[in-house]
Amino acid sequence: MTSATIPLAPETEAKVHEIGETEILVGIPSYNNASTIGHVVRAVSVGLAKYFATTRAVLVNSDGGSSDGTPETVARAVVDFGAMLISDQQSPLYKIITPYHGIPGKGSAFRTIFEIARRLKAKACAVVDSDLRSITPEWIELLVRPVLEESYDYVAPYYLRHKYDGTITNSIVYPLTSALYGQRIRQPIGGDFGFSGRLAEHYLEKHVWESDVARFGIDIWMTTEAIASGARVCQSFLGAKIHNPKDPAADLSAMLVQVMGAVFALMEEHQAVWGGLKGSSPVKLFGFQYDVGVEPVNVNVDRMISSFRQGLADLEPIWRQMLEPDTVEGLLPLKDCPPQAFRIPDNLWARLIYDVAVSYHRRAMPREHLLKAFTPLYLGRTAAFVLETQGLTSLEAEGRIDSLCQAFDDRKPYLVERWQAPLA
Amino acid sequence: MKEFWEKALLGPLETLSRNVLAVLPNVLAMSIILLVGLLAAWSIGHVVERLLRVIGLDLLSNRLGVNAALTRGGVKTDPSHLVGRAAYWLVVVFTAMAALGALNLQPINQFAQSFLAYIPHLVTAALILVAGYLLSNFVSQAVLIAAVNAGLPPARLVATCSRWGVQLVAVAMALEELGIARNIVAEGFGIMLGGVVLAVAIAFGLGAKDLAKEFLEQRLGNKPRDHTPDDLRHL
Repeated sequence: MTSATIPLAPETEAKVHEIGETEILVGIPSYNNASTIGHVVRAVSVGLAKYFATTRAVLVNSDGGSSDGTPETVARAVVDFGAMLISDQQSPLYKIITPYHGIPGKGSAFRTIFEIARRLKAKACAVVDSDLRSITPEWIELLVRPVLEESYDYVAPYYLRHKYDGTITNSIVYPLTSALYGQRIRQPIGGDFGFSGRLAEHYLEKHVWESDVARFGIDIWMTTEAIASGARVCQSFLGAKIHNPKDPAADLSAMLVQVMGAVFALMEEHQAVWGGLKGSSPVKLFGFQYDVGVEPVNVNVDRMISSFRQGLADLEPIWRQMLEPDTVEGLLPLKDCPPQAFRIPDNLWARLIYDVAVSYHRRAMPREHLLKAFTPLYLGRTAAFVLETQGLTSLEAEGRIDSLCQAFDDRKPYLVERWQAPLA
Repeated sequence: MKEFWEKALLGPLETLSRNVLAVLPNVLAMSIILLVGLLAAWSIGHVVERLLRVIGLDLLSNRLGVNAALTRGGVKTDPSHLVGRAAYWLVVVFTAMAALGALNLQPINQFAQSFLAYIPHLVTAALILVAGYLLSNFVSQAVLIAAVNAGLPPARLVATCSRWGVQLVAVAMALEELGIARNIVAEGFGIMLGGVVLAVAIAFGLGAKDLAKEFLEQRLGNKPRDHTPDDLRHL
C-alpha cells in the first residue's frame, strides 16, 4: 500500500525535479535556529564531502516558518574545503530549503524530509537537530554508512552523557522499550538518526501525521516503528551531545505527559509485537568509543525527595487508583526514612512503571491526570538513583542502568498478564 | 321520635355511606393503579437493568471511562444498575401521580398537573447537579495534581476549595432552574464569591507576604531563585 503523495512547495517541487535522484539525503528540521544551524549545515557538508566524496547527496532544511533568518543562514552557509584538507569532492552537494505543511512540530518537518527522500529515491538518509553544537562531520558517516554499506535500516544515536543527564531516558524510556521490544537501544529518543529510504517510505505510509507524533512524539515513534516493523537496527557512537539548553521553565510534568504518553500509545498500537517477546539483547554499536569527562550536572536531591513526599502525602488516593496495592505499600516506608536510606529498588520501579502503563491502557483516570500525577514518583526515583550512584563512575552508573533493564525484563510477564486481563 | 331518629342519625349515616360508596371505586382504582404501577416499576427497572447488562453497557462505560468517573464521584454501583433504578423511580413517580389522579379530587388533580409541568425542571436541575458533581471531582483532581507538582504546601486545601466552588456554582444553577429564590441565590452566590476572594487576598497578604515579596522580586527584579542550583536534564 502506498500513501498519497505529500504536497510540497512549488519551488521545492522544481528543485526535486531538477535533482532527479540521490543516494544520500540529510534532513535538518528547524524553527528559529539561525544562531546554531550554520554550524550544523557546515558539519553535514564536510561530512558528506569527506566520507562520501563521490556519492550524490542532498541536504534538506525543513523549516517551520522561522522569523530569525534560519533559511537564509542555511543558504549562506559555505565551507572552506581547502582548510578541511578536502580536495577531491567530486559530487556537488545540493541544498533544498523548504517550508513544511501540517501541524507545527518536528514530526511534520520530518514528514516533508521523508517525502523528498521518497521522491529522490534516496538510499540512505539521516536527520540531525538544528541546535547541535557538538556535531562533527563524523556524525554523518556514522549515521549513514551502516545503512549504505551494512544494510541496516535504522541507526540510533549513542551519546556520551553525564550519568545524571537524560534521567527520563535512563529510568523509563530505555529500560521500558528494551524490555518491550527486545532490543537495547540506549537512546531511543535521541533526536539524530540514520535510516534507509525504504524505512522512510514505511514511515510515510503510517497515518500518524495528524496526531501528537507530528508535534512532539516523532523520535520515540521512529525508533519503535523501526523495531516493530522488523527493520535491521543498530547504533552509532557519536560522542557528546551538546545543544542549546531547552527552556529551563519547561514544565517537567508536561514533558512526562508527552514522552510517556507517546511510549504508552505505541504500546497499545504494537501490543501484538511486544506481547510475545521475552528478554532483550544488545544492539550492534558502530563507532570508536571513548570516555572523557563530561559537563557536571548539579542536582538538588532534597527538593526531589520533598516533591516525592508531598506526592505521597497528598496524592496517595490517586496513586492507589493507578498502582497496585503492593506497589503503593512498597513506597510507604519512604515517607519518613532518612535521606541516606531513600531508595526505590529496581524491581519496585519496574512494577510501578508497568502499573502506570496498564492504568493508562485501561483509562483508570483521565490520561493527562495519570501522567501528571506520576511526576513526584519520577522525582523520587531520580533522587534515589542519584543517592545510590553519587560515588560511582559513569561506567559504574551505566551498570546500574543495565541492572534496571534486567529488572524490567524479569517483570515483563507481570505486565503482559495485567495488560491482557479482561476488564473487571 | 322515629322522624328524629331518621333525620338526626340515619340521615348522616346514609349520606356518609353514599359518599363512601361514591369514593370507593376511586380508592379501589387508586389501589389497583398503585399495585400494578409498583409491580410495573419493579419489572421495568429489573428488565432495563438486565437488558443493559446483556448489551454490555457496563463494559462500554468502562472503556469510555464512565465507571472510573462514577467511582471517583463516590458512586460504587455500575451504570446498568443506576439506569435500572432511575427507570424504576420514574415509573413509581408517574404511578403515584396517576394513582392520586384516580381519586378525582380537584386539589390533587391541580397538584398533579403542576407537578407534571415541573418535571422537566426537576430533571434539568438533577442533570446540572450530577454534571456539577462529576466536574467538581475532575477539576479538584486536576488542581490537586498541579498544586503538588508546583510544590504548593496547601495543595489539598486549594483542591478542596476548587471542588466546593464548582459544586456551589452547580447548586446555584440547579436552584435557579427550579425557580427557588432566584434573586437570593444569585446575590448570595455573588456575595459569597466576593467574600472568598477577599478572604484569600487578606490571607495571602497577611500570611504569605514574604512569599509574595519573593515572587514579585523574582518577577520584577530578575533575581535568581534562592535555591540550590538544579540543572538536571530529564530528556
